[in-house]
Amino acid sequence: MLEDRTGNELTGREVTASALRAALPLFIPAIPFGLVLGVAITDSAMPTAVAWSTNLVIFAGAAQLATVSLAATATWLTLVATAAVINLRHVMYSAALSPRFKDQPRWFRWLGPFLLIDQLFALTIVRTDTPGPQWRRFYLSAGIFYFVSWTTSVTIGLAVGSSIPTEWRLDVAPAVMFAGLVALGLTNRPGIVAAIVGAGVCLLALDVPNNGGILIGAISGVIAGCVADLALARRDHRPDATSGTP
Amino acid sequence: MNTPAAIAAVATVGMITYASRAGLIVFLADRPLPANVTRSLRYVGPAVLSALTVNLIAGGQGIDGVEFVEVAAIASAVIVAATVRNLIAALAAGMATLWLLLLLL
Repeated sequence: MLEDRTGNELTGREVTASALRAALPLFIPAIPFGLVLGVAITDSAMPTAVAWSTNLVIFAGAAQLATVSLAATATWLTLVATAAVINLRHVMYSAALSPRFKDQPRWFRWLGPFLLIDQLFALTIVRTDTPGPQWRRFYLSAGIFYFVSWTTSVTIGLAVGSSIPTEWRLDVAPAVMFAGLVALGLTNRPGIVAAIVGAGVCLLALDVPNNGGILIGAISGVIAGCVADLALARRDHRPDATSGTP
Repeated sequence: MNTPAAIAAVATVGMITYASRAGLIVFLADRPLPANVTRSLRYVGPAVLSALTVNLIAGGQGIDGVEFVEVAAIASAVIVAATVRNLIAALAAGMATLWLLLLLL
């Protein structure tokens, strides 16, 4: 935030405006994701209202999409475990942001994390010079904006999705979306190893009952990624490949 | 999935999601994670999402549930995502491939 470096005190309204200006461009790529989720809700084996309530209760796109699309084939336990594993990346965000929350009021420390989606993390982690109260206002403004726009785009997807004929095969869209997310997130070789091993092991384990292959694949992928990370670090004579920021 | 089971699943996933976001902020403020935990967490995303992609394609029918058109759609989405670095383009490419093949085959 340039405004902070000039030393001028921003009014609350200016902070909110700058939060919304920063938040909007990051939300645009999430719109098709929201629409896909809305369509997946119409296809879900869950009652529509319950599947829609994931917006208010979970508010995490990938975990929501997994929850509503796995309801048809997975047992309760597999569904919950898969969503839990998908959400593990939030622990990283939580760890990275916790210093910023240390001196914040208690209500914000409890409410703030609920809004902590990928985009909000990306926006707020870089604002290190922003004073605490302004940072809180920025965080809440962007977070509430994402919450409202996300729920809106999912609801639009839901309304549109029920009128699209099944021949369009929109049931494939969640898998395409997840594949795109994986490929977008792959920036280094250990990540590629983790993704290939995760997919390959899950393919071999498709006959494991209760969709257990997802977790077996995920665990194998994480182990393979860590092994590759350590091997690369050793080859490059670096003490630890994780020393950078996550 | 019946209504009580669905409500229980959504509520549980909601609590787990909140816990994973809030845990370190609310309860363990400003305590760093060990390096090997950070390292493992970094590979959770690619590993679980790629496994989930395979599982959704199979649709609970094992390897027989995997259709050629689905694999082609996934492949083009991955290629576009990796080259163009844009999720909308990846989704569009995947679905366009799917629809084109469904028309042709």
